[in-house]
Amino acid sequence: MRIDIKGLSFAFGTTKVLKDISLSIEKGEFLALMGPNGSGKTTLLRCLMNYLTPEQGGVLVDAKPVHTMTDKEIAQLFAVVPQTSPTDFSFTAYEMVMMGRIPHARSRLSSENESDVSAVREAMKRTGTLEFTDREFAGLSGGERQRVIIARALAQDPEILLLDEPTVYLDITGQLEIMDLLRNLNGSGLTIIAVMHDINLASRYCGKIALLHDGRLESHGTPQEVFTPENIMRIYDVEVIVRRDPLTHSVSVIPRATSLIVPAHGTRVHVLCGGGSGGPLLSGLVDAGYAPSAGVVNVLDSDFELAKDLHIPVVTEIPFAQVSDDAHLENLKRIVESDAVVVSEFPVGPGNLKNLEAAVAALGKGKPVFVMNAETAEKRDFVGGKAKQLIDDLISRGAVKVNDKQDLMTKLAERLGR
Amino acid sequence: MTERKNRGEDNPRARIRRKRAIAIIAIILALAAIVFICIFAGYGGPIGPSDQGRYITFQTAVDILLGKNPPNSDYAVRIIWDVRMPRVAMAAFVGAALAAAGTAMQAVFRNSMADPFIIGVSSGAAVGAAAVSLMGVGATISLIAQPSLAFIGAVVTVFAVYKLGTAKGKVYVDTLLLSGVAVAAFLGALVSLMLYISGQNYYKLGYWLMGSLTLSSWLWVGVIVLPVILGTVIIFLYGRELNVLLLGEETAHNLGANPEFLKKIMLAVAAIMTGVAVAFVGIIGFVGLMIPHMMRLVVGPDHRVLVPAATLGGAMFLIATDTLSRSFIELPVGIITAMLGGPFFLFLLRQRRIRGGRQ
Repeated sequence: MRIDIKGLSFAFGTTKVLKDISLSIEKGEFLALMGPNGSGKTTLLRCLMNYLTPEQGGVLVDAKPVHTMTDKEIAQLFAVVPQTSPTDFSFTAYEMVMMGRIPHARSRLSSENESDVSAVREAMKRTGTLEFTDREFAGLSGGERQRVIIARALAQDPEILLLDEPTVYLDITGQLEIMDLLRNLNGSGLTIIAVMHDINLASRYCGKIALLHDGRLESHGTPQEVFTPENIMRIYDVEVIVRRDPLTHSVSVIPRATSLIVPAHGTRVHVLCGGGSGGPLLSGLVDAGYAPSAGVVNVLDSDFELAKDLHIPVVTEIPFAQVSDDAHLENLKRIVESDAVVVSEFPVGPGNLKNLEAAVAALGKGKPVFVMNAETAEKRDFVGGKAKQLIDDLISRGAVKVNDKQDLMTKLAERLGR
Repeated sequence: MTERKNRGEDNPRARIRRKRAIAIIAIILALAAIVFICIFAGYGGPIGPSDQGRYITFQTAVDILLGKNPPNSDYAVRIIWDVRMPRVAMAAFVGAALAAAGTAMQAVFRNSMADPFIIGVSSGAAVGAAAVSLMGVGATISLIAQPSLAFIGAVVTVFAVYKLGTAKGKVYVDTLLLSGVAVAAFLGALVSLMLYISGQNYYKLGYWLMGSLTLSSWLWVGVIVLPVILGTVIIFLYGRELNVLLLGEETAHNLGANPEFLKKIMLAVAAIMTGVAVAFVGIIGFVGLMIPHMMRLVVGPDHRVLVPAATLGGAMFLIATDTLSRSFIELPVGIITAMLGGPFFLFLLRQRRIRGGRQ
């Protein structure tokens, strides 16, 4: 079983919705159809199941065009799970699932037989919905209802499961429940094609992604191949940082902003950071139009990765090594070129004590220095009181104490006249 | 918990079937009982007062029904065979038609407020009937002209509403619904205008507009029996498709039903069967709206059992209310159905709210 979408175009009246889409889906694939609102995802899904008829091109399943199949054949091939199902009637969950057997009925008058009953039971077992048998469908929670609808789709005994944003109205528990269920079904050989909105959910669960934009197929491949910052900027017009999800190592996308709120003015601020303490400050500075730099940070430190993603110059040291003299000198050079220096709330050990010394040097050179949460100095002092002493020293010599990112922005602006 | 599980383990299909069979048998028995009671009820007895000294005994009535005409029972035979029986039969078929068509319309419109008149049947028929009154033809001609023109008015109106709610061969139910409302409002004004001008025929038309089975005859029954039975059977045969149509057209399509075809055939069937009923007896409200609701509470939403249940229930309801309407003074039955139906419907709505149910 293999699906080939060939040169498919579709229009509502004169509005072209799909433009020359070609895409192949192998048996057992779990494909997410993605793209901004109005990109044609749902229309493509509807063309697949022959609910809409393409203007040009078409859909082949094992080389047989879908539009030449009977309604019954199509119903036994594709089962559809919509976004939501109406609840203004009192069908029980069992009756809902039993409706999946309609394509298998021999005639209009034949009622359900033993094989229908066992197919329904099997489908409800696989989706964990047996306990809802006698409950009214409308009385179930959103996630439970969606599982019942998936059970109905399974009772249809299809080759391919089509889902239209199956998790869109669910809370996070419901989302994961449904996606885990789909992954299980996919694992047992069912081909799944789902319209999805959440990039992180899709990259975590789906093997392949087809990214649509303005009716065209823009990118198709694994999540790693498709979800690049460039693709996402081009298609969603959102700046993102792409990381690996620490739990699953799937691609994880962190949105930044659609556009800068403040035009860049390029005032240079050097941030002394490390251990993840500088991240929010750096991105906050960028958003406020500053041109920050960072140092000294070990390569692979999360502050290092963030600075790289934000294209911020950063003075680096090799992983787990002490700040070398070379790095320290480069750091001082950055300080000299900057209009202000920020000491973020980093833990201080023998390796990075030089970062505090650099701050003292900055004061000596007449640069305004801002110290984040000076009062926590004692807790993050791992050099026997030297760090606390240096920070106290900074404050007594005129460094400005700041409490959080917002406070920093305000005081920076006051001091630098921004 | 284990008890719940055990219940889930036995065969739910067998359980559902058992429950449905019991419900349908109970409805059939109740209908039979009501038919008998209502044939026996009325002026002249056996249930009810004597009619100018004439009284049918219980024994005579039973004998007549069994086909043994006792001596000196001409009066009783005429009352039972030519007055009450056609009237009960007419009530049964009209009630069945309205309830079955109402069930179909509620599924097609996926709206529990839909009734068979929603697509303009009643307003169209009223224009036809009012036109006859306005022309001022004689009583004999109007006996044939009124139902004929009413039926034509109904069918033409439904066709117009259908055209307004359709684009490129696709039926858009929400547009259809609004078109029906707008056309009904326009035609309603037209009927009022004709009523205003028609003067002396005002009374007769008013009676028709309120819905009445007074003039029922075997001829009427003969005309409506075939469309009503055929229509009901067609709706029943599409029960499974109507079920999935409730879940949305996309889902219906995916389960092998053809929503466009289904909507068209249901609209056509409902228009013809209610059109022919309304043509004779006028506008009887609330049966088509209420009976499907009541029966849904009794047998559940599955149309394969709901359609027969509503058909029988509609027949039962109209026979009973018509008997009520002729038992005191001869009231138009439409008044009784609305007076009983309105409050009852409100009661159902409140019940659902109070039970924390859905809107």
